[in-house]
Order: sequence, then structure tokens, then C-alpha cells
Amino acid sequence: MNQQSTPAGARRRDKVRLGAGAGYWGAEMEGPLKLATSGAIDYLCFDQLAELTMSLLERQRMKNPELGYIPDLASHVEKLLPVMRDRGVKVITNAGGTNCPSAMTMALAIAGRLGFGGMKIAAVSGDNVTGLIDPLLQQGWKFTNLDTGDDRIEDIRERIVSAHAYVGAEGIVEALDGEADLVIAGRVSDNALYVGPLMHEFGWSYEPEFVDRIGSAIAIGHIVECAELVCGGMSNLWKVSDRPWEIGFPIAEVQADGSAIVTKLPGTGGVVNEWTVKEHLVYEVHDPRRYMMPDGVADLTSLRLEDLGEDRVRVSGGRGAPRPDTLKVQVGYMDGFIAEGTFLVGGPDVLAKVRKAREIFEGLLARAGIVPIDLRYDRIGIDAISGDMFADPAEDSVRECGLRIAVRVRTREEANIARGHMLRVTLYGPVGLGWGPPAAVRPVISLWPTLIPRDAVKLQVDVRRAA
Amino acid sequence: MKAHSIPLKRIAITRSGDKGDVSNIGIIAFSDALYRLLLERLTLERVKQHFKGMVKGDVAFYPMDNIGAVQIVMRGALGGGATKTLRFDQTGKSMGVLIQSLEIPFSDEELALIPDRPPFER
Repeated sequence: MNQQSTPAGARRRDKVRLGAGAGYWGAEMEGPLKLATSGAIDYLCFDQLAELTMSLLERQRMKNPELGYIPDLASHVEKLLPVMRDRGVKVITNAGGTNCPSAMTMALAIAGRLGFGGMKIAAVSGDNVTGLIDPLLQQGWKFTNLDTGDDRIEDIRERIVSAHAYVGAEGIVEALDGEADLVIAGRVSDNALYVGPLMHEFGWSYEPEFVDRIGSAIAIGHIVECAELVCGGMSNLWKVSDRPWEIGFPIAEVQADGSAIVTKLPGTGGVVNEWTVKEHLVYEVHDPRRYMMPDGVADLTSLRLEDLGEDRVRVSGGRGAPRPDTLKVQVGYMDGFIAEGTFLVGGPDVLAKVRKAREIFEGLLARAGIVPIDLRYDRIGIDAISGDMFADPAEDSVRECGLRIAVRVRTREEANIARGHMLRVTLYGPVGLGWGPPAAVRPVISLWPTLIPRDAVKLQVDVRRAA
Repeated sequence: MKAHSIPLKRIAITRSGDKGDVSNIGIIAFSDALYRLLLERLTLERVKQHFKGMVKGDVAFYPMDNIGAVQIVMRGALGGGATKTLRFDQTGKSMGVLIQSLEIPFSDEELALIPDRPPFER
């Protein structure tokens, strides 16, 4: 199943069919497996990391040095191996999280046990930059918080859980050049999962002549990286999306000039048209002319969309600019605890009962000497989404509402006390306050988005053959 | 000429997302004519006023002529960001829905630009 090795810079195919298998942690495998089995795809790519995920995984790794990857990866590998062999589909995932070597060891063991000896598996590491913070600080680098402008990272230094750079596709390309069938990466940018195989197959590099093609690849990656969500998921088109319970997963058929057709597996549910592609083009983008990624800067305003009908949209005209000298880093640090509880308020006098419940909760907190960092009430059915955007309804028009109380405090002890007092609000207060699921406490990991010099980040690629 | 107030949902679709404490909403107009009208009438002031209790920081617009969309980027919008906010909707997925009630002024003759239903529901 491995291809003959090809000299760098040479084109391996005229077009490449990329399948998107996941855009979140907890994705189901039925759709991706269908795509791999009958989508005639060359690659199946999985993005399972959100902004917080690396910190959650790093906490798991600190408890057990063999963990730190998305646990689902084991069952995913087991399900994917047969179709990878039968259909020659290669898989690229960022589910390696904060421990790609360990994820690779796990995947090699599964491949060996199930009789897939010869399968090559790669780990792409080096995105963990926690160890670079102190030396770079000493050299005068400021890890300025991109959200707040704060440049005193020293103030949170002791509470840092993880720091990972969003790296580009070069590690993935190296792994594919090394004939890997399964590439396990960590905090690569979401779209690098798609840029990587295109660079490998078409022989693109970071030289100036390729910037528009890489810009196009970033845009195409962006369109499909949330997988089924570009096929009518989370969509304004929910009324016309066909059988959402059988939603299709997307395919990007990419030409060597960087243009592509975005479609989905025929016969599946959902919908792909110019509108679903537009929905995704605007998703989580700030300046669309400079969509800054580790592999380049895509100009999303240069793209031409052409709705070809039958769930096919042609995307062309993409342009780009050279990749930046810095990489974005997400630093996660411990930042207190949240206690959160939700209960129901039955009428009559719903709004007055909520006011009384707030008074009781705040009295209980004061009695315990707790001064919250942040405190919030949501009246579900009245203002949980809209906040203070609308005036309150008339008291006698409200039959019932949910009341959610959320409080952020400094220590777990305070959070536990606050959680206990949430139940007491229903016990010490008005009749008709019904408690639902028990209140819960969770630690808070705040994020400190910042930049790091690209040169400081060194990737390691390890390709091994299953025994 | 009589002025009319038309909620955004009748002329565009929206989708919101988050990066840290920044919420962005893409507004995608139903036609080129509506996009041009939106560029003129969807002012920063209107958006700031709409989200006045929620968005603490700057608001910026980025036009996308190629797809008839305006990107709205709002800083300090999510109570500190998804991981530490006390918002029920931690990632601000509902911001895109909330903006659909924002009213845009239309003149009498411009009312003809508004489709009976979204172009993808025909």
C-alpha cells in the first residue's frame, strides 16, 4: 500500500481527495468510516482539539505519563485500520494531543495485535513549548497576551499547566514523505491536517512561488475542518438539511492549482451548497484578508464560489501570503474554580422568587466569607442567551423558568461550599424551587494566547513500522 | 419616503464562533443588493448598541465582497473566554442568533429587495 518514494518537489497525483472525519472531541465514527469505504478518498483527516483541549490532556498526562492523547484514538485506530488497508486511505489526526509518542506506541500495538504489521505510523511532536518560556523570557521575549495586551506572563508563571504552539504542516509532510499511513500529530493548526497532504502530494514548499496554492489549501482546510458541520450541521439551513441523523461528511477534491470541489458522500444526509460553504468561510475568522496560519496567510476574500448543484461547490481563485515569523501559542493556567447549579422555579411569582433566591445565595456566600471573582445568574427561558438585551416580561406572563447560578472563586474549598449553598437556596427559600441535577464544581484553566518566534520551535517526526 | 425597520434575519444568515474572549459573527447577505445595503446600514454603533450589556471591548467589521458577507469581530465579548466564562453559552454560538433581531432601516422601494424566503429554501 505504500507508494514508491518520489523525489521532493515532484507531483504524485493530478488531484487529491481529502475526507474530513471529525471536527471535535467525541465525534462518531460511522460517517468517517463510510467516507473511507466508499468516498474514494486518499486521506481522511481528524481535528479533535479545541482551544482548551491541550490543557485538559496535559493534566491527564501529568497524572499518568502514558496519557495525554484523545482516548478515543484507540478505538478509532482499531476501526480505521481495515479500511486503511483495503482502500489505501491514509489517516492524519491531531488526536495525539500532548503525547504523540505515547499515542503512536498505542497505535503500533493495536496494529500489531490485529495483524496490520507493515503499517507505518508517525508521531509529530515539538509543539509543547512550555520549556521554552523561561529561556525566551530571559532573552527578552515578551509573551504578551494577545487578548488583553498584558505582557506580565511572570504573574501566572507558577500556575501554567501547558503551553503549545500552533505548528504548521511541515511535520505532517515529513511523516508522509517517510511513507507513514497514519500520522499522529498534536497542536498542529486545524487546517494543517489538510495542507500537509496537499504539500506532500503536489510537491509544494514554502517557497514564494507556492504562496497562493498554500493560501488556497488553508482556505479549503478551513472549509472542511469542522467535518460534517459544513454539510448542514449547526446551520441556518436546518429546515432544508436532508435527514440530519444521517448527515454526510465532506470531501474536498483538490487540483494541483489549489482549486477544489467541496462535496459530500453521495446518498448521505445533510446538504452542501454555496450557503453552507459561506457559513463555514466566515466561521471563527477575524480579518478575512489575512487569515493567519502557521503555513501561510490566506486571503479568504479572494475565493470564488460556484454552486454546481447536487451538493457540489467549486472553490477557486485562492491567494496567500508568506507564513509569519511567529507562531501562536496557547498557554493554559490554573485560574480558580467554578461552582454551577441549575434548578427550576415554578410560578406564581417566578421573577420575585428568583430575586429572593439570589438574595439567599449571596447571603449564604457572605456568611461563609466568600467573595466571588465572578458571579452570574441565568433565568433560562428569559435571559440565559439574551442577557439584558430585552426588558423583563410581565410577572404574570411567566409560568416557570430555570435558574442557573454560576460562581467563580479562588479555591476548591470555596467552590465546594458554594456548591452546597446552591442546594440550600432551594431549601431555605420560597416554595416551588425544584432542584434538578446536583450542582458541580470544576477547575478553571484560563488561556493566555501569545506568540513565539518560529525558529524556537523544533518539530520531531518519528515514523515506525508496526511489528 | 417612509422608513421601515427590518430584522437582519430577513436579509441574511449568520454564524458565530469564538477565539479566546473574542466573538465573531459572519453575516451573509441573501443577495448582492442586500449586501451593499448592509455595508451601508449595519453600523458599528448599531452593533455596539445591540450587544451593549455583553461586549466590553472594541468592535470591528471586515467586508467579504466575494461572498457578500460582513465579518463582525467583537473583543471582550465572552466573559473572559470559553474556559473561564460563567456564560451558559460559553463559546458564544448564540451570538449569531442574537444579532438576527438587529433592525436595519429600509426605505419603501428597498423593501422589494427582501425575498419572501431565504434563497436556499426555494
